[in-house]
Amino acid sequence: EDTGDDDNYDFGKGDFTEHACRYCGVSNPACVVRCNVPSCRKWFCNSRGNTSGSHIVNHLVRAKHKEVCLHKDSPLGETILECYNCGCRNVFLLGFISAKTESVVVLLCREPCLSVNALKDMNWDLSQWCPLIDDRCFLQWLVKIPSEQEQLRARQISAQQINKVEELWKTNPDASLEDLEKPGVDDEPQPVAIKYEDAYQYQNVFAPLIKLEADYDKMMKESQSKDNVTIRWDIGLNKKRIAYFVFPKEDNELRLVPGDELRLRYSGDAAHPAWQSVGHVIKLTAQEEVALELRANQGVPVDVNHGFSVDFVWKSTSFDRMQGAMKTFAVDETSVSGYIYHHLLGHEVEVQMVRNALPRRFGAPGLPELNASQVFAVKSVLQRPISLIQGPPGTGKTVTSAAIVYHMAKQGQGQVLVCAPSNVAVDQLAEKISATGLKVVRLCAKSREAVSSPVEHLTLHYQVRNLDTSDKSELHKLQQLKDEQGELSSSDEKKYKALKRATEREISQSADVICCTCVGAGDPRLANFRFRQVLIDESTQATEPECLIPLVLGVKQVVLVGDHCQLGPVIMCKKAARAGLAQSLFERLVLLGVKPIRLQVQYRMHPSLSEFPSNSFYEGTLQNGVTVNERQLSGIDFPWPVPNRPMFFYVQMGQEEISASGTSYLNRTEAANVEKIVTTFLRSGVVPSQIGVITPYEGQRAYIVNYMSRNGALRQQLYKEIEVASVDSFQGREKDYIILSCVRSNEHQGIGFLNDPRRLNVALTRARYGIVILGNPKVLSKQPLWNGLLTHYKEHECLVEGPLNNLKQSMVQFQKPKKIYN
Amino acid sequence: HVRQTVAEVDPLEEASFEQELKAVESMEQRRQELRGRPTLNMMIPMNLFEGSTKDHHARGTGGESGDEALDEETGGNKEVQVKVLVKRGNKQQTKQMYIPRNCSLVQSTKQKEAAELQE
Ligand SMILES: [Zn+2]
Ligand SMILES: [Zn+2]
Ligand SMILES: [Zn+2]
Repeated sequence: EDTGDDDNYDFGKGDFTEHACRYCGVSNPACVVRCNVPSCRKWFCNSRGNTSGSHIVNHLVRAKHKEVCLHKDSPLGETILECYNCGCRNVFLLGFISAKTESVVVLLCREPCLSVNALKDMNWDLSQWCPLIDDRCFLQWLVKIPSEQEQLRARQISAQQINKVEELWKTNPDASLEDLEKPGVDDEPQPVAIKYEDAYQYQNVFAPLIKLEADYDKMMKESQSKDNVTIRWDIGLNKKRIAYFVFPKEDNELRLVPGDELRLRYSGDAAHPAWQSVGHVIKLTAQEEVALELRANQGVPVDVNHGFSVDFVWKSTSFDRMQGAMKTFAVDETSVSGYIYHHLLGHEVEVQMVRNALPRRFGAPGLPELNASQVFAVKSVLQRPISLIQGPPGTGKTVTSAAIVYHMAKQGQGQVLVCAPSNVAVDQLAEKISATGLKVVRLCAKSREAVSSPVEHLTLHYQVRNLDTSDKSELHKLQQLKDEQGELSSSDEKKYKALKRATEREISQSADVICCTCVGAGDPRLANFRFRQVLIDESTQATEPECLIPLVLGVKQVVLVGDHCQLGPVIMCKKAARAGLAQSLFERLVLLGVKPIRLQVQYRMHPSLSEFPSNSFYEGTLQNGVTVNERQLSGIDFPWPVPNRPMFFYVQMGQEEISASGTSYLNRTEAANVEKIVTTFLRSGVVPSQIGVITPYEGQRAYIVNYMSRNGALRQQLYKEIEVASVDSFQGREKDYIILSCVRSNEHQGIGFLNDPRRLNVALTRARYGIVILGNPKVLSKQPLWNGLLTHYKEHECLVEGPLNNLKQSMVQFQKPKKIYN
Repeated sequence: HVRQTVAEVDPLEEASFEQELKAVESMEQRRQELRGRPTLNMMIPMNLFEGSTKDHHARGTGGESGDEALDEETGGNKEVQVKVLVKRGNKQQTKQMYIPRNCSLVQSTKQKEAAELQE
């Protein structure tokens, strides 16, 4: 076929017709659709080019647009694709069904219309619902794929170029591909290094990355406004107004958490003036309802329930504190000891030991006995100015950390600061440390004071309120008055604030240990505190600048606890992530030659379950602190293929049904089998709280939840109590039984999320008593690590197929693994 | 024949695509859950079937009327005509389309027709 360069030139550079694909220039009306988002309205074609999905699908996904309109010269004419029944226009949810007896087809959304029972009685055949987007292309009979000739003539655009131009369109919707070449448009930030000349250079690298992440976060959150929100009003124990409402989680990137600030607005009507108020999220109910405690009670239109708007109030606090910490690190010589300063920057420094008397025994009161590797960790850490502790799953990281903190506090070096990136981890640690008898203060962000906590009695705000001595009676009186009236006179308010501050200070100063999040360590209430000894748990889930916040308060001895073989910090801005912001300080110190002390005995998993993770992620060093017998529940009758090996890989085929656009509905068989496994567990006497279902895809998660409650063989309530969640939300936690639904993809695509070894490690190490993995070995085996896992299961006769009550060993052939990608 | 296979897709790229895709999917899922159960009004307008369209109109891929028997033998590389039911405002409308005979949508109808014929 002649693909003359002249033609190529015409297509690549010339003026495009209006409906030409904005990526590649193909303009055949049968092959293009228009994005129907009003601010976009760009045309794209249905060819894959060099990318894993067709151009239109690529655009919709990258731009988070979901509606399309067909070309006027296409067979259906100018038509916006929408669900015939409910009008839903999300192309990712649409598919065709046909009438049972007539050659009539109609577009219907997967959720909820496809699952409406009334349809079953009508003349529509629901069994053959055919997704509009299959294999990341629009159905070819609806939107044609350009011919080979057309594709060869088109501009060859790479996936990278697509990403870049999509990023550009977010700020400049009319930009063209040529604009990518212009200087300044696509500057990548300076990447992180292993060593830095000085703290200024360090700051110069990290400050722009934090700025990028902050800008992205701001943009994301501020675009989350919702209108037509319905409110249910309530009053809290503290007499504050609480608004309950459903705030749909827009996507996985933004997760509303207690403490977040939202603005509630009412535009007003004949009987009510316009109103708005800011409040803090105090909890999220199981029904995904948000409880928002309003800051002020005045003028709240409590007799109105509909027509409210909600905005996210973005706060720069955490980013400001990171920038602040880097600045302090650079300009304040006393922020960290000289040794730590040079060590963090990667300078050569002579090994230093901490001269402190070692305790006679390394355990601590109120904690379980330590094992050998835990004792070794405690002992080593106490003698060094910088140490890393790697705690693989179930190895007693928290207990070890608590023991370290106990001994540090007993050394008389002043108060110990204990941090972690997440509130959950801080609470757990605070509880354990408090069990040793040390005086612990848990400092919470002001915005989280109304959020309930398992260690409420340790929190500073609780202690201030409940300090019962006579000289505090003045504060008490004012507090009571404030609670009753909601407000104080300005002179009383002044007095109240001063008294409160003094009391907070007094309580904090009398503590042995202060616990807070890394960001919390930048709280103004700690501004005048100095901490020579700092322990940071979960440090591999924090960014470097985040870790720096607790360190610049005068640290001389630092312990970073974590596991760089599990999931790292979540960075939302891709540019910042590419430049290395996702690398934790722990990891960089490992690169600099600091050898982590590894805790080696795991107390969580049945020995059969720990074997593969130990060999694949921890060089086979993981020992079992539990025996086979201790991990056998009597009376549980489950069809494990090999007795005493509570694990199997359940082979799931049905390749033809998969489509990346709507992973959930295409893995109906996998979801159905999850339900069967869950039911079998429940029938054999396992209770719902013992079971966790892990799946990497939100679509599959929602589908499994729906499927189980609709089709589960047992009482609905039982299935509702079963936690179905992503790998990431299971990090740091465990369940007795884990069912992992892989949601395999097909040959055009990789295996996505499961490609990350750290994510696989987390998924495999959550179960205590047993694990079932569902997936397609043909697809998964292409990835070396999965190939290893499958081989492991096969060797142990745990690779099976067939009905659950008659599992047979599978003879499915694996594919050759591709070379390892790093 | 159209290129269907893809050169190696960068796994990082792939992962980021998946992440975004996941976002798009879940977004609407949530919104839908909130809308509650819809009511159904999906009656097929009977005037569609005047003149009986029970037999599928077949045509060759090229558009000209081909030899049906021959095409069946060579793998049935054929298209069948269907009516796509759409709404314009509150009005029902149908549009003619040709879809591949091997599409699962047609398959089920064909099977049922065959079953009915046997009765
Ligand atoms: Zn668009
Ligand atoms: Zn294109
Ligand atoms: Zn619908």
